[in-house]
Amino acid sequence: MILYLPAALFVVSLLMAYGSAGRRRQAATVGTLAAAAWSLALLVDPGSVAWAIGPIGAALLLTRPGKRVNSSFEGLTRRVATIAVALLVALLLASRLPVGENPLLLSAVPWFLGALGAAWFASPIDQPERLQGQVLMVAAAAAVILAAVPAGPVTASLAGAMALMPIAGEHWRLPGPLQLPVSLTMLGLAAVAVVLAGVGTSIARVVLFDFSVDVGGAILLASAVLLVAGAALTPIGSEWTALLGVLVVSASAPSLRWAALAALIAVATVLAKEGEQLAWIAFGVLGLAPVLQGVATSTSTSTVRAQAVALALGLVLIVLASRVGVIRVLVLPSAGFVVMLALTTVTSPNLVRLQWITAMGAVLLVARMVLVWLIDRSGRPAIVRDQLLFALLLLAISARDALGLGALAAALLLIDLAIVRIEVMPERWAGTAARLVLLARSNWPPAVTFAGASMAVIAALQASLALGMLAALLLAGLQLAPLLDGHALAPSPQRPRSPLGWVVPAVSIACGVAPALLLRMLRF
Amino acid sequence: MPLAAQALLPFLALLGAAVIVQRRPRRASNGWISVAATGLAGITAMVELVRLAPGEHVDVPYLTTFPYADLAIRLDGLSLAFASVTLITAALLMLARLRLHGDRRDPWLGWLLTAAATCAVIFAHNLLLVYIALQLLTLAWTGALDETARRRRGLRLSVQVADIGLLLAAASAIQSVGTSGFSGVPSDTFALPAFVFVLLPVVARVAALAVTAGGPQATVAFEPAIVWVAPAGYLLMRMLALMGGRLPDRPTAVVLFAAATLVALAMAALALLERSAARRVALLLVAHAALALALSTGADPLMTVACTWLWLLLVPLAGLASVRVAAGSLPEAFTQVNLAMIPGSTAFVGLWLGSLALNARGLLFGVIPVGVGVALSATAALSRLKRPRSLRLDPPTVWAAGLLLIAAFPIVVMGRLVVPAAATVRLVPGGTVAANPIGIVAGGRFFPALVVSLVMALALGFAAWRLRLKAPTLPFPKEGVKINTPTLPALPRVPPWGRFVLWGAFAVAVYNVLTRP
Repeated sequence: MILYLPAALFVVSLLMAYGSAGRRRQAATVGTLAAAAWSLALLVDPGSVAWAIGPIGAALLLTRPGKRVNSSFEGLTRRVATIAVALLVALLLASRLPVGENPLLLSAVPWFLGALGAAWFASPIDQPERLQGQVLMVAAAAAVILAAVPAGPVTASLAGAMALMPIAGEHWRLPGPLQLPVSLTMLGLAAVAVVLAGVGTSIARVVLFDFSVDVGGAILLASAVLLVAGAALTPIGSEWTALLGVLVVSASAPSLRWAALAALIAVATVLAKEGEQLAWIAFGVLGLAPVLQGVATSTSTSTVRAQAVALALGLVLIVLASRVGVIRVLVLPSAGFVVMLALTTVTSPNLVRLQWITAMGAVLLVARMVLVWLIDRSGRPAIVRDQLLFALLLLAISARDALGLGALAAALLLIDLAIVRIEVMPERWAGTAARLVLLARSNWPPAVTFAGASMAVIAALQASLALGMLAALLLAGLQLAPLLDGHALAPSPQRPRSPLGWVVPAVSIACGVAPALLLRMLRF
Repeated sequence: MPLAAQALLPFLALLGAAVIVQRRPRRASNGWISVAATGLAGITAMVELVRLAPGEHVDVPYLTTFPYADLAIRLDGLSLAFASVTLITAALLMLARLRLHGDRRDPWLGWLLTAAATCAVIFAHNLLLVYIALQLLTLAWTGALDETARRRRGLRLSVQVADIGLLLAAASAIQSVGTSGFSGVPSDTFALPAFVFVLLPVVARVAALAVTAGGPQATVAFEPAIVWVAPAGYLLMRMLALMGGRLPDRPTAVVLFAAATLVALAMAALALLERSAARRVALLLVAHAALALALSTGADPLMTVACTWLWLLLVPLAGLASVRVAAGSLPEAFTQVNLAMIPGSTAFVGLWLGSLALNARGLLFGVIPVGVGVALSATAALSRLKRPRSLRLDPPTVWAAGLLLIAAFPIVVMGRLVVPAAATVRLVPGGTVAANPIGIVAGGRFFPALVVSLVMALALGFAAWRLRLKAPTLPFPKEGVKINTPTLPALPRVPPWGRFVLWGAFAVAVYNVLTRP
């Protein structure tokens, strides 16, 4: 009987939260979190309760107005329908992905928490509730994965602390005098990471109590990419968000890794909301992969199959969502590198499954672009070159090969899409400087676009003839794309022009000249 | 000097000159610097070729981090022969440009970079490097760093797209044997699709030759010889070398031979109808290239020597044809004779060797379309032959005369240039072709090149001077024959729910992949 109490507490708190305002509602929200923590304590171990510190702190920080917001009949209906559907989906998922032999209502509580967050995010009554929804989604992601893949108290508390990040993203900016030093420090750290990865030092993992981070070559490279992107391309004052990306790629514990990714999505969509909902759906699908891995039994082939499909589908959706803003600058490379790392455990038959979905995703990207243009020719057209590069990126990530060319192509294309093809430039440029910038953003060698796209074709052909031909067609389209796009680039996420903009062409040329060094980093 | 440094000498000469020219633009001496540097690069390549032992090849690696795409230079008979011919042709083009007045543009930097890029294509050690060098070559000759630039955009994009074929061939090799290097790839690595992929950039360049020549008239056009013919010929011969000197199967060879011969016939026929001299020259060059391509399909040593001869000597001929000379001048007459492919021209030697090879294989009927092509080319070229009004000793005259001398004395290039290149493509047993000062012996037959050249010179001279020979010309179709190009119908507007159909289809496909056992 005691096993059902967390679920009962959650339901009571949920009803209270929907029916009250001000402090009572805040208390009800804390109640839902307490129910999830209780559930975790029973499902995993009491140490996991440390997870709740962050979410409860976030719930306390997010004050609610004392008076209830007036709502219309339609609004109320929509909110009720949303939470009902979300809870049903959560129950379905909890029943399909059971944690051990535990009762359904016990293991469903973290899922319910996610459902509540999703409902508040999808049908918010006001902006604070939307933010609260994001907090709950981040917390729920950590809780669900903690239940499937247990971790120690330090890791659990850190995973829970990720729930504070949406609030930090909304309210906290680096003070002006600190912005340049922080950017320069991040660039310095990126350089150190590149050197370490290039040298191939044999530090496999850094451990602090039960919290550990991986520092393999690929992870160092990914960290360097994220640090450069954070220093040079994030909105002013938000440079610190790149550290979340670094945590995503380097954290060993799945709960912390995926919670950090959810937090990064929440922070990334503070300023640019385009693609936000798709990004959360993508996260939901991607987040199923570690849960499936955690609950899989050795004989369960369908779980492993679903895991590969979740990875592929999540990747396609995140790519579709990453058109502009910080989602593109930070979320795309983080998710891309995470999927690349996760692919190492996918078996060959499931890899083929994954390749099929990414190939269809590549076709979908191009078809969607054409379709949107055919539906409304007056609207702002998508940048053709970007869409083709996204499609090539999908093929490259899925093309896992013995030589590591797929990973190399994916890394190059991620650098290109996240760093190079963003409109950030110093104020005046002419002569040699102008030519350098033009070269860095072109399809000519030695720009990173050329290296990445060419490698993607080779890697795709290693995977299969069909993928190779599709990649070759995309590359042919890429050569023609400048005719349609001109010099169009994705808009810069609210950043004034500064000398840091020169980092972009430098990175492009460096990666295009020495892709072999990147391959070396990826192999360690 | 270490080999690694020797191999870089042509590049150092070209790029060093490019740096000098770039730092002091519009100086009168820039042209001479360019000529000297390019000539030096060509001579260096030739010296390396002479020093190379028969059948020897040297790979000079500089960066070996990519096992499938080392940054390395390949020195063998084929690469050094093509490099020598191409660079010397480039130097001659620069010299011709220097001596011709009327064009105030300063092309030296672009030409030096283009020559260096072509050199990179030829010296590249693996297919992936060749692909990269081809892109650099396209960048160099167009100068279109800005990809939206309108200048020759269609041509540039066509070539870039066609070059993807080479990338696919490289990928195919990497997939099969883990490398795209020219050493260590078994000859059965490349099947028919890979060969077809490599044919794409070759065909695109030959087609570009037809499209560009006869366009805007510069005093000297650098592209036909250096950007189109040399890379096209080299790529094809290199691919043949990688495939052991033969095509994947006999039907492929037959189809390719037939297609190339038909193209040659068509081009020669079009040249017959063409009024513009520049366009006619371009069409005849394409016919020449098509015949070279046709003879590249053979699988025996003599045929390989024949096609190597044709490709190698097409480079300087294309260069010569790209120099604007006065109407009725001696070099114009010499160029027309060479383009005519008649006995006494360089092409005829190659065609004679090819005919012998076809005959030896019992395929004498294959000679008939080649002969018809030659007859059409000769008619087209000689119909406009005019008696030279003046005799001036300028670079084009010397160049054209040099080509005719090579046809008269094949020994000059056969043993040191053509046979080493052909021997790289496939094994050429000693005695397959033997050259002496008055002719060549091949397949047990003797071709008295010197005598033939003298007789032809006398015959043509007599015809031009005394009989005022004018070959029959066909009237060009009159204006007014317009081809009505159908206008594309306007694209339909798609209803907004179309996107749901797209997403639905994607969802169904993902579901199928998920549930597929």
